[in-house]
Amino acid sequence: MSALALAAVIAGLTLVTVLTRSLFLLLGDQVTLPERIRHGLRYAPACALAALIAQQLVLSDGRLDLSILNPRLDAGLIALAVMLWSRSMLGAMSAGMLAFTLLRALM
Amino acid sequence: MQTEKFSALFGRSPALAQARRAAFVDGVRAFTPAAIATGAWALVTGVAMVRMGLHLAPALAMSATVFAGSAQLASLPLIAAGAPVWVILLTATIVNLRFVIFSAGLQPYFRHLSLPRRALLGYLTGDVSYLLVIRRFAAVARNAAERTEQVWFHVGLSAANWIVWQSMSVAGILLAHRIPPSWGMDFVGVLALITLVAPSLTDAPMIVGVLVASVVAVAANALPLKLSVLAAVLAGVAAAIALELARERRGAGP
Repeated sequence: MSALALAAVIAGLTLVTVLTRSLFLLLGDQVTLPERIRHGLRYAPACALAALIAQQLVLSDGRLDLSILNPRLDAGLIALAVMLWSRSMLGAMSAGMLAFTLLRALM
Repeated sequence: MQTEKFSALFGRSPALAQARRAAFVDGVRAFTPAAIATGAWALVTGVAMVRMGLHLAPALAMSATVFAGSAQLASLPLIAAGAPVWVILLTATIVNLRFVIFSAGLQPYFRHLSLPRRALLGYLTGDVSYLLVIRRFAAVARNAAERTEQVWFHVGLSAANWIVWQSMSVAGILLAHRIPPSWGMDFVGVLALITLVAPSLTDAPMIVGVLVASVVAVAANALPLKLSVLAAVLAGVAAAIALELARERRGAGP
């Protein structure tokens, strides 16, 4: 890709970030959402992150791997369990990384 | 003395500056628990930019201006493959469509601000900021004092998020060649996201929404242009609202 095309891509991506993140903020009062929907939007960020996580844990090169021999899935579930139990981010990430490294070495 | 020093940022009226500064500091504090995870995700994104073939200057420019990890990661393989510019931008737009949904949630909180300020606050609000702000303020402010608190809390949180993201992303760009791929560093980013979501899993509608979103994201993965993430968010939110409604109906019944 040429330097010019790359510059155009980076400028375009910046515009995409600005427009998507502020679209309803810029439309202002011209659009009002029903209270039920607006309230429901607090579920949106956790769902978005969960979607990104799930694809990383169980898909490798587009193929589904739900087996117990999938180190990413096992390590991810271990990190989730440690986080829910201890509320320690550092603990959960360390446990997950340790499990991931050990499982990959074993399998 | 302190008031003098910060008057450019928080305003000249002492009472107002005091309220703004308190809310700003509160926002920075609210971000602190998410700092490690955000930093890890930014580091992984920085490393990925260089690994996928970006040189130093474009990688730094992309980090500084695009400021959206998932869109950056989605566009990198397309850039490496020399895909047409419009395909790259369309893919990033679809990956980012979840932010349009977030902006609808933020709109009532910031409707009193000027257009440039709304655009700036929107631009700075990624997944983590929105998650933390909405966790803190379930209801929209009803008076001027509450509005000041909510806006300046958001400014403090966004500033802390921006500084952590940018510094760790630059660190990733500079260290990319010193971190061997065999370490599986990219997995740290996934673990970081897990620790960010886990504290939200406190009530049944949220847990159901997250589970539905996960299943849909995997099942719809074959959709073109990364539409799977948008499909997952819509399905997850719909499932959570449906469960809320079902519970209310049962609660209101005889």
